[in-house]
Formats: sequence, structure tokens, C-alpha cells
Amino acid sequence: MRPGRQLAVLGAVFVVLYLLVFFAGGASGGWKDRLEPRLGLDLVGGTRLTLEATNTVDGRAPNSENLEEARRIIESRVNAFGVAEAEVVTEGDRNIVVSLPGENRDISEVGEAAELRFRKVLKIADGSGAAANPPPASPAPSGSASPAPSGGATPSAGATPSPRVSSSVAATASPAGGQGGAAPASPSPSASPSASSSAAAPTPSASAPPVTAGIEEQRKAVEAKVGPAAWAAATALQAPADLTADPSLAEKLKPFAGLTGREVAVLPAQMQFNVPQITCAQLDDRPPASISAEDQQVVACQGGAGKYLLDQAKVLGTDVDDANAVLDQTNQWVVSLDFSGSGQEKWTGLTREAFNNEGQACDAAALGDTGKCLVAVVLDNEIVSAPEIQGVLTGNSQITGNFTNAEASKLAGQLRFGALPLTFEPAESQNVTASLGASHLRAGLIAAGIGMLLVIIYSFFYYRLLGSVIFFSLILSALLVFGALVFLGRQIGFTLTLAGIAGMIVSLGVAADSFVIYFERLKDEIQEGRSPRSAVSRAWIRARRTIISANAITIMSAVVLYIVSVGTVKGFAFALGLATVLDLVVVFLFRHPIMTMFARTRAFLSPRVSGLGRVLPPRGVEPAKPRNPRVKEA
Amino acid sequence: MAGSGLASRLYRGEAGLDVVGRRKLWFTVAGVLVLLALASFLIRGFNPGIEFAGGNVLRVPASVGTLEEVESRTDTILAEQGDEARVVTAQQVGGGGTGEEFYELKTTQLGPEQDTAARTALAQSFGINVDQISGDRVSKAWGDQVTSRALLGLVIFLAVVSIYLVLRFEWQMAVAAIASLLMNLVLTAGIYSAVGLEVTPSTVIGFLTILGFALYDVVVVFDKVQENTRGITANNNQTYGEAANLALNQSLMRSFNTSVVALLPVGSILFIGAFLLGAGTLKDLGLVLFVGMAVAFLTSILLATPLLVMMKNRDPRIQAHRKRIAARRSAIARGETPGRPAARAATGETEAEPVDAEPAALAGAAPKVGARPAAKRSSGARGGRPAGGSGNRPGGAKRR
Repeated sequence: MRPGRQLAVLGAVFVVLYLLVFFAGGASGGWKDRLEPRLGLDLVGGTRLTLEATNTVDGRAPNSENLEEARRIIESRVNAFGVAEAEVVTEGDRNIVVSLPGENRDISEVGEAAELRFRKVLKIADGSGAAANPPPASPAPSGSASPAPSGGATPSAGATPSPRVSSSVAATASPAGGQGGAAPASPSPSASPSASSSAAAPTPSASAPPVTAGIEEQRKAVEAKVGPAAWAAATALQAPADLTADPSLAEKLKPFAGLTGREVAVLPAQMQFNVPQITCAQLDDRPPASISAEDQQVVACQGGAGKYLLDQAKVLGTDVDDANAVLDQTNQWVVSLDFSGSGQEKWTGLTREAFNNEGQACDAAALGDTGKCLVAVVLDNEIVSAPEIQGVLTGNSQITGNFTNAEASKLAGQLRFGALPLTFEPAESQNVTASLGASHLRAGLIAAGIGMLLVIIYSFFYYRLLGSVIFFSLILSALLVFGALVFLGRQIGFTLTLAGIAGMIVSLGVAADSFVIYFERLKDEIQEGRSPRSAVSRAWIRARRTIISANAITIMSAVVLYIVSVGTVKGFAFALGLATVLDLVVVFLFRHPIMTMFARTRAFLSPRVSGLGRVLPPRGVEPAKPRNPRVKEA
Repeated sequence: MAGSGLASRLYRGEAGLDVVGRRKLWFTVAGVLVLLALASFLIRGFNPGIEFAGGNVLRVPASVGTLEEVESRTDTILAEQGDEARVVTAQQVGGGGTGEEFYELKTTQLGPEQDTAARTALAQSFGINVDQISGDRVSKAWGDQVTSRALLGLVIFLAVVSIYLVLRFEWQMAVAAIASLLMNLVLTAGIYSAVGLEVTPSTVIGFLTILGFALYDVVVVFDKVQENTRGITANNNQTYGEAANLALNQSLMRSFNTSVVALLPVGSILFIGAFLLGAGTLKDLGLVLFVGMAVAFLTSILLATPLLVMMKNRDPRIQAHRKRIAARRSAIARGETPGRPAARAATGETEAEPVDAEPAALAGAAPKVGARPAAKRSSGARGGRPAGGSGNRPGGAKRR
């Protein structure tokens, strides 16, 4: 190709790129605004939070649809903060990254409260660890037939020393939707005691049914840890151990007090419930999602003290359509609940079961003040509220209690957004003040400037006039990269971070390397006695191959890094790859044609100027040896 | 300029350094270094950053007081948070006239609530706004995740690159390149372990970037080796080892230049990262890249090519070729008529002058042989031989 044509192509690339920068993809504002690349949080200040999905039993990545759904929910939570330009994206196969530019605040709660379950409360025991004073819960699994009079039954009020928010929570058929409410639920006053909102109690998903091999193994390990005697004693328990009746049991069961949350989580639910040495502190310490399995009975705590044995989850967070904090007629804050179509059926079924205490499943001690079963709202490992069911609810429902506005809003939020399909833990968070961000940006730019200056000084020193080719190429590359940054920032949301700047700087080296390869080739050719003109074209053909293979490797490493890595490094890899690709463009469309043109000028022929002169053997010094004393190829 | 100083000989690729011939020395040195590195892994281990143990970083503007004061006050506040929270290290970062200076306090892992509480208390204590305190929080799981992804990346990269190298060069070259790459990684990690430099996720990732650069150097050298040794068995002037050594000498300046040019910007990252920002991504990346690329320059010269020659010498064809040359050289040394290069007739190459005694005599010692890059004239050396065979005349001319 003629050099002019290649330069024309390059010019066209430039024009198109900058037209895109200025006019395409949502460019708006003044000329200066349109030239703004998207800067990352570490450069402008802000908060970033990386949430890692953790309910991956064996380390496998969660389902990508679930991850995307969780992302949407988290996004809606973040948007509720009212922060402009908040960004929530998935990263890799298990991370969700929340970025709030310009805001320095704690956002760790957006990833909390992942899984919402409605579970009937079967039994209640003391979870405070005050083992010496055994909890009053009666052992009979099926409780007494008739709803126990509320007075004595008030769950753990007596047993749990910790203060509890005593909010009466009654799900009532709300006036509007109450057509079918079989039992006209009295808007219960402050009768039934159930803590709402207070503490978190995780429940492990350990009850019998399908236990995976992994859990079985872990159970064995725990069995070994507590010793066979303790294990046997715990297995034999049919109800919370009554230690006053059998003091020796306390000694036997003692090892259970030393288990970690993780170890407790693998125990069967019955055991978690029955062994009094397993306290709420341990239960609260179980890893997230320990009790998310729907088809298993689980144990969870409320308020850090009351230990609840809960039925299978009949209604899930995804069944909740909407939940809002509203003021009822009596000017009390209540939470109104809407279920989706199929969710409503399940909810009706659950409330019927609970209202009638079908099969006497609920222990007498676990009934509300009016003798109905409680239904626990379980978020992750904690019970946030356990309202007594006041009727068979076929329509909208309300949870009442002595809520403040904030409490009601929080509960409503948990109900509404609790539907996260995954459990997350904050893996990394970073917040950067605006001034620190500015100093990062400045440092990055200074580093880039110094790096570029050093490279250019070196190339002028070593290649003299040819250094100017390097100089212009680097400038061209920089302009191309900048344009691409601005455009990609708008188009695919690429943000330039400090690591990205580092990637750009490193790519300076890659760009300069391709010149070194080319010029050294040129030197060889001239040394062989070729005229600059023919040397240029020959050197190009040979150097091209080396440059392509070497750049291909850099691009490969950038691509692999980009695909595989997590965190800020993605930006680094992207920048490195982008700059390397653009370097190839510059090499082909600028450097080669410009060198071809250079080779035609007189100046190039002058050794002093071109920097290649040194390799031209001064006449006479180098004996006119046969040019090629060696080897031709076969 | 054409003097015989080492520099100018280097410049012209005529330094005649016998790298390949002393490969036993390099292998021994490399072996010892690897052993030292492994010993250091076992004995000293690494110095992991907070990202691997989990922990928090708080950055407080330096304007609030002295470092000691800030540290002790923070410690008190953290102690109130329970869980044995405390300050692990405290240092002043930033400055250098570019911006405000900060005290960076690394603490034990705090929960989100503790973190918020600590910041609020700190802000109150120093009478600043809470949003003037910035910080990071990293869980152990995060460090683990970064590392496991990096290892996955390493494996994928090695697989992809091996395939590429086998296709682009030949399998021996691929093996030699990968081996020197691994050596590079082990030595870099060894330096980190021995010196006790802090390892952060950024470091781990920078590691992967070294891979690209280490191979860059190797590719530059091997490209030349491949060119010089094309069709080498067809003549009797030069063994594979000598040709490779020559290629190495010829591309020495190129390697050196590419390394310097690549190190300059990395050095500026390191400089700015270490002196202006004090810590963080830039410094970690800069440091690992700097160390790794410096090591890469050496391994690509001293290990990759000698390894390649060693493997090639096992190839029966190369072996036979070597023996033939040895026989011929001893014949020349005894003063017999040099045997005609068998291949000459085959190539129809008239330019291949009868080998005069000089290179042959020198051949045993330093490969002065072909101080001039003669093989370059072979047209076959061109990439992919695009223009087809126009003999050894500049095929490229056609392309203009």
C-alpha cells in the first residue's frame, strides 16, 4: 500500500472516532463535557462496595440469573438512597459491585437481608445459654391439644433475660381486602408479644432430609470434636434438655458450647434446638444462608435469646408482591403486605394452618396471646418478626405492633426487598474522599507524564531523529486511546481507574518496544549495506512479524486477565489491552508509512541525523569482508 | 564509533558473548536461585497485605494532628468497639507537594457497623466531618477470591500461550519459553519472599502481567533464533547452538532496549506510587512489574535460549548435524581440504563463499562466527513468507 493511503486510513479512523466522541452515544453538554472520560471512584471520590455471593455450598458460582436478579434488587435499594449515577454491576460470576460516585457513606446494608422466609413457629426454647435454669418449654412435640391460655404461654418472656421489643404483631385481614377473612381478625392491640426488628438469629439448615455428602462429612468432624458421649447424649434428646432434672447431662453436653457458628450450622435442626449449650450467640454466628433450605425445619433466634424451632418455609420472599409502612385508622404504624397471585394462595394456606393450629403442630409454649400459632418472618439467619396469626388471610394483610415509622419502614423494606435470591457478604469496600481522589488522579497523570517523558528522552538519545517518529506515534496513540476511553466510557460504561491509568502507562512500554524492534531491524539492514530506502521496507516486513507475535502475547494476557480477574484489576487489563490494540493500529497506519516517506528524504540518509548512522561502518575501518561468510538456507 | 569497545560491539550485535556455551553455568545459577527461592517460601513465607487476612484501612487527613496522637486515639476508639479491634500499622502517606497528606491506619477486621461507629467517633474526636475520613474494608474471602482467580488466570494464560507458541514457533521453543517464564515467576516470588515485600491482590495481578512481558522478550529472541537456524542442517558451517548464540547476540541490544523502554514507564509508576501516594494499587503494581520485568530480561537471555539449545541438541537431526560439523572442523584443524558444504549445491547459492579458516578456527571458542547477521538474507526468514519465493532477493520490494 502506498504510504499516503495508509495515512489517509489513519486520518479516517481519527475523524470517525472523534465524531463518535463528540456526537454519538449520548454525548451532551458543551465541548468540554463531551471530552470527559468516565473516571472511577478512586479518582473522583466516592464509595464502592463489592458484595460476594456466599451461598455457594461447594464453592461453585451461583446461577447467573439469580445473580442478575439480585443485582436488580440491590440496584433498586441503592436508588432508594437517591444518589445520582449510582452504579450496580455484576462482576465475575459471584460479585456485585455497587459504586456511588461522590458519596462517602456506609452502604453495606444494601447487600444484607438476602433471603426471606415465612415459617410457622413450632417450639420455643431459651437460647441465652443460661443452661442451669432450663427453659420452660414442655417437651411434648405435639404440644397440648388446646391452645394454651396465653398468659403462661407467652413464649420466652420469662426465660429470656434479654430485653425485647414487645410489639404486638397481628396479621389482620385489612379492611379493604378482607372479603374472605374467615375469622374476623381483631386488630390486635398490644397483646401478642413478639419482637420485631430486634436481633438477628441465624438458623442452620441442618434438619434431616437430603443431606449432602459434604454436610455428612462435616457432621462427622463435629461429632469427633465434641466426642462420642456428648454426641450420643445430644442425639438421644427428644426435647430441649432439662438440665435440672438430669444434671449429669449438662456435663455431657458441655463440648457443644465450644462449637463455632460454622460447626453448629451442620448439626441437625433438632439437635441445635435441643442442646441448651448451643446458644443464640453461636446460632447467630452461623454462616449466611445456613437456613435457607425451604423444605427443612430450622432453628433461629429472635433477639439473641429466644430459640425458635421453625417449620418448613411455606411462603418465600419471592411471594411478596409489595410491603409498605402505612398509618392505620388508629394512627399506628403498620406494615401492609401484598402477595403475588400464587403467593397469596400459599399465604392463605399458611395462615389457615397457623390459625387453626392444624395437627397441633405448634407447641403450647409457642402460641401467641390469643392462642394462635406464630409465623416467623425469617431474614437470612434471623427472625425479624414473629406475628401471631389472627385469621385465615385471603387478601391484603397487615402486621401491627408498636412500630415507629422507622421500624415499620425497615420491616416493610425487608419484606419487600428480602427477596434477594442470593446471600451476600461485603467482600471489599472502599471509600475515597474527593480530595484523596483528586490526589490519586494527579499522581496518575504525573506518573503517565514522567513515563512518557522518559521514554521519549530515551528514544531521542538512542535513535536521534527517529525519536521524533516515536514521539509522534506516542502522541497519536495517546489521542486514540483518549478518544476510545471517552467513547467507551459512555457506550459500555468503562470507567478509568487508577489501575487503568497504570495499565495505560505500562502500555507505553509496549508501544515503544515495537519501535525498538523495528529500528533495530533497520539498523541490521543498514549494517548489511542496504540503502535506507530498501532497508526500511525490508526491516518492516521482518519486524512486523515479531511485533505482531509479541503484541499478541500482551493482548492475550490482557484478555485473560480481563475475563478472569476481579476488582480494580479489570480496569488495568482493559486499559492495557485497549492501548496495545491501538498501538498496533498506529504501528501499521502511521509508523510504517511515515518511515517510508522518511526514507525518501535526504535527511534520512545522513547518518548523524537519523541515528542509524552509527551502524554504518566508516569506510575502510571494516575490511571489505565478504558480506556473508556464512550459510545460506537450504 | 566503530571501535572495538564492548558497548559498540554490543550495539552492532558483535559482542560475541558466549551465552549458550556456558549454559551449564546459567542452569546451575538458576537452580541454586530456585532452591533459595523455595527455601525462602518455606522458611520466611510471604508478607501478606491486609487483603489476605481481612482488615480495614482508615485514612485520616494529616491536618488533625501528629501520627502518634492519631494512632493512639484511634486505638482507644477501636478498643471500645470490642472484638479486640486495634490499629495494626500506621503511616503517613501522600504529600510530596501534590496534595493533602493522610495518615493511613491499618486495623484488624471491623464489621460494617463497627467501621461506621469507629469513623463517627474518630470524626468527632478530631472535629472533622465524617466524610473526610476515607477507608477500605477487605474481607479475607476477597483476598482469597482474588488469588484463586489469579491462579485460574495463570493456568488459562499458560495454556493459551503454549498453544500459540507451538503454532507460531515449535514445541521446543514453547517449552523453553514456558520454562523460563515459570523460572521468572519463581524468582520474582522469591525476591518478594526474601525481601519481605508486602503481597497484595494488586501484586498477585501484577504477576500475571509480568507473564506477558517475560514472553515478549523471549519472543523477540526466539524470532531471531528461528530466523538464523532455518535450514541449518543443510550446511556445515554452524551448529544449532552457535546459530542460536549468534541470534542472541544480535538481539541482545534489542532485548535490552525493549526492557529499558518498558521499565521506564513502570519505574515512573513505582516512583509516583511509592513517593507521592505512599501505598496502594500503583505502588504494588509498579513494584511487582519492575522486579518481574527486570528478572524477565535476564531469564529470557540467560535461560530461554540455552534451554532451547539443550532440547534441540537432543533432536537426532540436530545431533547428527553437530557431529558432522565437529568432524569437519577437526579436519580443517588438521589442515585438510575443507569439505564442501554439502548443502551448497542444493541451494544453488553461489554467494556462500568457501568458508575461510578464520571462522572455523574461532568457532571452537567464542562464536565470532558470522559476526554479521548473514542469515538474515535468507528470504525464508520473513514472516509467513508472504511474497512467496523470490529467492533471497528482497521480496519485500514487491510489496511497495
